[in-house]
Amino acid sequence: MAKLAVTLKVNGETKELLIKEDALLIDVLRDEVGLTGTKKGCGEGECGTCTVLIDGRPVNSCLVLAALAQGKEILTIEGVGTPEKLHPIQQAFVEEGAIQCGFCTPGMVMTTKALLDREKNPDEQQIRKTISGNLCRCTGYVKIVKAVKRAAGEL
Amino acid sequence: MPIITENITREKKTETDFQSPEVWTKVTGKAVYGNDFKLPGMLYGKILRSPHPHARIKKINLGSVEAMPGVYASLTGAELPERPYGIVFDDELPLAAELVRYIGDEVAAVAAVDNETASKAVEAINVDYEMLPAVFSPREALKPDAPQLHEKFKDNLAWERNLLRGDSDKAFREADVIVENTFTIPSVHSTYLEPTVCVAADDPYNGLIIHTAVQSPDAVRVIIAKALELPLSKVRIVGPVMGGGFGGRVYGNLKLYMIASLLAIKTGRPVKMQLTREEEFLVGRPMIAAEMHLKMGFKNDGTILAREADIVTDNGAYSAQAPWVSKTLSERNDSVYHIPNIKTRVRLAYTNKVPTGQYRAYGNQAANFATESLLDMGAVKLGIDPLKLRLKNCVKTGDTTVHGLKIKSCALAECLKAAAEEIGWYDRKKGYGYGISAAIHASGSLVFDKNFRGAAALARLELDGRISIFSGEQDYGQGAHATFTLIASRVLGISPEMITVYSRDTLSSPHSIGALGNRQTTIGGKAVQMAAKRLRELIVLTAADMLEDPVVMEKGTLRSASDRIVELPLVAYHYHSLTCGLSLIGEGRYVPEPSEYDETGYGNIAVTYSFAAHGAVVEVDKTTGAITVHKIVAAHDSGKIINQISAIGQVFGGTTQGLGMSCYEGYLFNKGEVANASLADYRIPTSLDVPDITPIFIENEDPEGPYGAKGLGEIVQIPVLGAVANAVADAAGVRVTDLPITAEKVYQALSGWECE
Repeated sequence: MAKLAVTLKVNGETKELLIKEDALLIDVLRDEVGLTGTKKGCGEGECGTCTVLIDGRPVNSCLVLAALAQGKEILTIEGVGTPEKLHPIQQAFVEEGAIQCGFCTPGMVMTTKALLDREKNPDEQQIRKTISGNLCRCTGYVKIVKAVKRAAGEL
Repeated sequence: MPIITENITREKKTETDFQSPEVWTKVTGKAVYGNDFKLPGMLYGKILRSPHPHARIKKINLGSVEAMPGVYASLTGAELPERPYGIVFDDELPLAAELVRYIGDEVAAVAAVDNETASKAVEAINVDYEMLPAVFSPREALKPDAPQLHEKFKDNLAWERNLLRGDSDKAFREADVIVENTFTIPSVHSTYLEPTVCVAADDPYNGLIIHTAVQSPDAVRVIIAKALELPLSKVRIVGPVMGGGFGGRVYGNLKLYMIASLLAIKTGRPVKMQLTREEEFLVGRPMIAAEMHLKMGFKNDGTILAREADIVTDNGAYSAQAPWVSKTLSERNDSVYHIPNIKTRVRLAYTNKVPTGQYRAYGNQAANFATESLLDMGAVKLGIDPLKLRLKNCVKTGDTTVHGLKIKSCALAECLKAAAEEIGWYDRKKGYGYGISAAIHASGSLVFDKNFRGAAALARLELDGRISIFSGEQDYGQGAHATFTLIASRVLGISPEMITVYSRDTLSSPHSIGALGNRQTTIGGKAVQMAAKRLRELIVLTAADMLEDPVVMEKGTLRSASDRIVELPLVAYHYHSLTCGLSLIGEGRYVPEPSEYDETGYGNIAVTYSFAAHGAVVEVDKTTGAITVHKIVAAHDSGKIINQISAIGQVFGGTTQGLGMSCYEGYLFNKGEVANASLADYRIPTSLDVPDITPIFIENEDPEGPYGAKGLGEIVQIPVLGAVANAVADAAGVRVTDLPITAEKVYQALSGWECE
């Protein structure tokens, strides 16, 4: 298959890459750019662990062709905060104990960021609806919902 | 006894809230999970699986697969010695030699430069099969003329148990009220979000290293060394972070590990293999399905006289832990109440379907659904309030149960009362259904290996004054590391921030049975407590030697009788210099009393037992059958709670998984083929499905567990099923006896309409 030269803007940095035409964004992020914080729980758009933001909108990166993300702002979990300087959303997830195995956490944080960037004070139902595409098997979502509320209060 | 309740708006932290610093790596995407792990020169492996439920392999035509660009090796069962392995029975081979027994059975494998090349190579392999008749129903499989799966297991009977306590025939003759019914549960998958993955590497110096996150790495290492005939000391498991386990990953995926290892040995390169989500459902060892016919006899005053059970469990094509799970499913629940007469027959049948394993509560959750449903049917017939019926019969501290379990601490009655009060049992709202259910679960099971009942741990004083704890118990998000940290912190009197727990490398940690049987806190935690205690003694002795004066240790500082003070780093350096390089290491062991169970299995099987009662409030739309679960109250006796933040997290998560089993989840098969092998079709609860969950901890100190604690991780799932089933029956006026309880089934029960 022919290779394609693409320019992706990931977490504010420009990446020149040579990728397969049909390469999915998740694989390019993880394997080519080396950002493994975005997880792959199903590869079928069902679990939400691969959620990244494209121009501020949350998408399942396993369903997006990397080539189509050219010219757009891609934000992954690595662009949100670091252990030394957590983003308020990440801080809220830690404070509330919303992280158990942690495999859904990056996707949850990204979906939360997209929500709180456009809606400053979402109610519980809005939060639950928004994260319903992100599966979590550990927490029963209770503390995640609380973390989103807490983050909303602090942003 | 003190009671902790968590209301939804809990804001204040307590001093027992602690999280491993690993959460910061998880929330920032820096934590390295199995699929994030790479080694130089690494190849990728793929497996060719059987498309048939039962067939004989006539010929595998590899053709020019090995000559394909990018392909490094292929592997078939014909190349391997026929040396079966297993967990309870040796009934599996790494790759099929002659027979395939389910759709998904491993037939051949390929290692190639990338996943895509490996997949194409696998597709190019041509296999000639001779079809064999298959059997999918366990009851059919047990008939003498059914197709046979394994030569060694006549009539497909993998395992059987006939259990008699007392005289149930006589008791039923004397019973005033008898209820009986058949309850069924489908196979259910743990559905950890991270598909199972490993990287196997082999070289003459290191031997075989398998990088994989698994709940019982030492057990896996032993099985693999034996099956592949490798020296045990040259097989090492190193764990990346695990994306969930829930009992489904006690042994991870042994075939995946073995095939990756064999390919790594063959190619001399590291080989990575990961199951796809579809493969997880096809080969990921879900919990056994069960059909349970139960009968219960009561006196008019509600006293339970006897319980009879005829249970058939569905093993699928290979056994893994299915006999153990069947045993727990058929028996543990008998010890919730005083049932003096028991007669149980349980048979585990091989079928040409997905091989099974275990999930969280080891079958006890399935038994809860059946028994607690039947108990409510009994309550209706007796005209006794279901809560009163439970309180009348439930076990208490000091009891020895019908199967010989010794109950050292038990707040079950308190749990029942607390759960009932919190859901408004005696203050019911019209139009709602109320259900309650109770459970017992082993806390620190002793029966996996009679000669290896406990655990060991090491606590090492580092030169900078920090403490490293080495344990073979595993943390995969449930909070074992945080719990161990808090235990060591309490023993040593130093801040938890100064302590790090390491558990994921079989080379450096003591051998352990692993994360099963609710062992982590009760047994693993106690070993950590002992190790920290021993380290504390060694620190005090060394400091006294340094100062030539008796010392006491307070808040991480050592003070002599003459009021001289030394800090921990100095003590560490002193010993280090004195011994030319050694560190102060506290070795801790916890060796529980031997279990004295007889040939009928009568006896104490665990260090102690956890108890719980859950209450549920639901609404049922009688026109459509639609169920809305409004509230679940989870009242638990897990002894003294060591880490509140983790404990509450376990209750929320485990209750949600129980709800999944109650209302959503279950394998669907079409002639042996999994019909719902995706997260779209196998539906686990989403954020929109979870009701108000209220955890309640009745803090009843256990005499055996570390700081009075008992296990919690498994029991959280158990009582949900009975509580939800009973609440739905209360609301609908009809009972669904086949899990999951869906709107369709409620509608069928309400309308009397049955579909084929």
